[in-house]
Amino acid sequence: MNSCIRCGYCYEHCPVFKSTKWEIDSPRGKLILLYGLLSGELEPSDYIANKIFECFHCGRCQKACASGVPTLEVFDAARADLIDAGFNVVGTTSQTNHDICARCLNCVRMCKHEARSFVDGKIITDRLKCRSCGSCLDICSEKGITIGTGYGTNPDELSSKIKKFLNNPENPDAKAIVFMCGWSSYPGFQASVYDKFEISREYEILVTACSGRLKSQTVLESFEEGAWGVLICCCPENECDHGGSARVKARMKYLTDFFEKMDIEKNRIQIAEIPQGNPKLFTDTATKFIKEIGSLGPAFERVGKC
Amino acid sequence: MGPIDIELLKKIVGPENVRDNIADRYVYGADASVHEATPHVIVRPTNTEQVQEVMRYANREKIPVVPRGAGSGMCGQVTPIMGGIVLDMKGMNRILEINVKDGYCRVEPGVVDDDLNRALKPYGVFYPPTPASSLIATIGGEIANNASGTRSVKYGAARDALLALKVVLANGECLSLGATTRVAASGYPLERLIVGSEGTLAVIVEATLRFVPIPKYRCLGISNFNRLSDAGDAISDIMASGCQPSMLELVDKVAITAVNKAEKLGLPDVEAILLFEADGMAKESIDPEIEKIKSICEKHGGFGVEYSYDEKERARIFAGRSKLFPSLSKFDDRLASTSLADDMAVPFSKMAEAAGKIHEIAAKYGIVMTAYGHCGAGCIHTKILMDTDKNFQWEAAEKAVAEIYDYVCSVGGTTSAEHGIGLSKAPAFKKEKEAALELMRGIKRVFDPNNILNPGKLMDAPDRWLVATPLRYQIVE
Repeated sequence: MNSCIRCGYCYEHCPVFKSTKWEIDSPRGKLILLYGLLSGELEPSDYIANKIFECFHCGRCQKACASGVPTLEVFDAARADLIDAGFNVVGTTSQTNHDICARCLNCVRMCKHEARSFVDGKIITDRLKCRSCGSCLDICSEKGITIGTGYGTNPDELSSKIKKFLNNPENPDAKAIVFMCGWSSYPGFQASVYDKFEISREYEILVTACSGRLKSQTVLESFEEGAWGVLICCCPENECDHGGSARVKARMKYLTDFFEKMDIEKNRIQIAEIPQGNPKLFTDTATKFIKEIGSLGPAFERVGKC
Repeated sequence: MGPIDIELLKKIVGPENVRDNIADRYVYGADASVHEATPHVIVRPTNTEQVQEVMRYANREKIPVVPRGAGSGMCGQVTPIMGGIVLDMKGMNRILEINVKDGYCRVEPGVVDDDLNRALKPYGVFYPPTPASSLIATIGGEIANNASGTRSVKYGAARDALLALKVVLANGECLSLGATTRVAASGYPLERLIVGSEGTLAVIVEATLRFVPIPKYRCLGISNFNRLSDAGDAISDIMASGCQPSMLELVDKVAITAVNKAEKLGLPDVEAILLFEADGMAKESIDPEIEKIKSICEKHGGFGVEYSYDEKERARIFAGRSKLFPSLSKFDDRLASTSLADDMAVPFSKMAEAAGKIHEIAAKYGIVMTAYGHCGAGCIHTKILMDTDKNFQWEAAEKAVAEIYDYVCSVGGTTSAEHGIGLSKAPAFKKEKEAALELMRGIKRVFDPNNILNPGKLMDAPDRWLVATPLRYQIVE
């Protein structure tokens, strides 16, 4: 823990901190909390335990840390200790609503991390194994699985951001939504606000956690709100730890086939595989995409309000 | 100070912008320094009126207020040693205007340096202070600490890029200081007084900054030296030669070892590396500067000299320096990197001697110290690598720090080049500025008669940093 020099450079890489800008939500904030617990200056509490469990496990903090602090390892060990100490917190892990759950066990079968199991007639989440990718939310047809604190990645949060961006009267240039896998091509969101940021005028970047979590309904909602196009950036299939890239591709293929049948240009929905740590590829892809849909014009006139 | 009215603060800034649980308070009691202290509450204003209201309340009740940016300071500038309110300025993060015609931009204090430069880039200009922490450092924090970075040798520090400020005083009054014009001759330059005041005089709520054109070409070079003193002599000669490098960086053996260990860059096993850069709008003006610097390096025993205009090559050459500060933790697994005596400045001609002296004093006290930094600006960065669990190491560090600063003062240097004073450099600062301390205290009283703004810092900081606050480390022996 002493190798953390508390430089705070990890702020820039953490989607949770970028979402709230409260320092307790950053990797440095978590490490300071753990230091407080170890030194006895802090008493363990549900609030602290929950903060330690609020993480999308993207690993960017660890990769970016030149001091070599093994943040993922440290946080995992701390979570295990907190569970042993009896803290029943869920953080960003997925939870099942047993009243709604149909016990179809699809989520158990599909979880790449073996974090879900069927015990005593109920599906339970292993909070140490859950990577908060949200894939199980997507596969549950009954909306029986939720992530309580989504830091902007939950479907209702995405919907509200889509509406806000595409219906902003002060930004007539808004024309596209870019869904971004939190693992692959996280673009380093600006912590600052400038209404003329060239990058943000034409498209809004929304982080979805794993792209496999993105529902077709959310994509269609974007068009309903006036998007000319939707770009989805995911990990290369062989690099996706959650199996999400393959799923989102299959789901979008179904949508684009449907678009084609409706005589709507299928390239209004595009998927790009962008490996981690390649912001230039992201920027180039997004620029090309915007140019392409710019030449197509609004989808609205073709589709009409759904 | 009586009990803090949390409900009132929630009314002022909204309940979502107030945190008073112990966990948040503990996190906001820390920064990148060795110090820690716990505030009573964190308040995140989102506009000037909210700052004014918070200050009116705090002034009435005599509650300490510590403005905070990213908390990346390394000397305890934002450590709330008297508790009170931490004013988290990250909620005021808007870039308000980029006025290319008149050559300025207006920003709120929570705007991140790199974000500002991202917004400025399409106009072909940049905001130059850019410390190494620019990816998280806020403009407000940079001004309050007069931050600068690798290119300060040519482009100066935060003070040089500042035109005007809007500030909220301790009594809640909002004032505009300075002017947006490039020249403003008369009266006391109060906006400049705020620079480097470390939050002790007023809360910055808006800054008007000048920017400079992004040079079309940059050429970055590197030279290795078998002796640190040779590199120091080269620096002195380069700066006296009429060259105007845009960067001149020294990296010593300890730093080279750390970077090689952390980043596996395979830097040569030498006593010192010098990085030099020249920039401009035409290669014709850069080439002669680079050639001159190269020949001076070689004259002083520099070898393996290479340089390049190519962006990828420049990134390769600079990789070691850019990762240096956080890499120091990997120099030796048993030693932690601490920010103490970390940014003194000395005259160019004393650079080599100072670097040698730092190693000599470190050896005398059984600790490891680096010497690197923006030597073109006279700035030497050091870090103390030590076993932070051991009390005797801290006692040794305190003695070593004092001795280093005595040396720095004796050769006409100064305590802090760019990181600020806070708590851990206050003893040296107070010694260096002894004759002016009462005047500084008088100025503080005019701005802040109730002493609520970041109290107990700079000239009013405790005499021993070692016991000013609990240290962030667990000392077991």
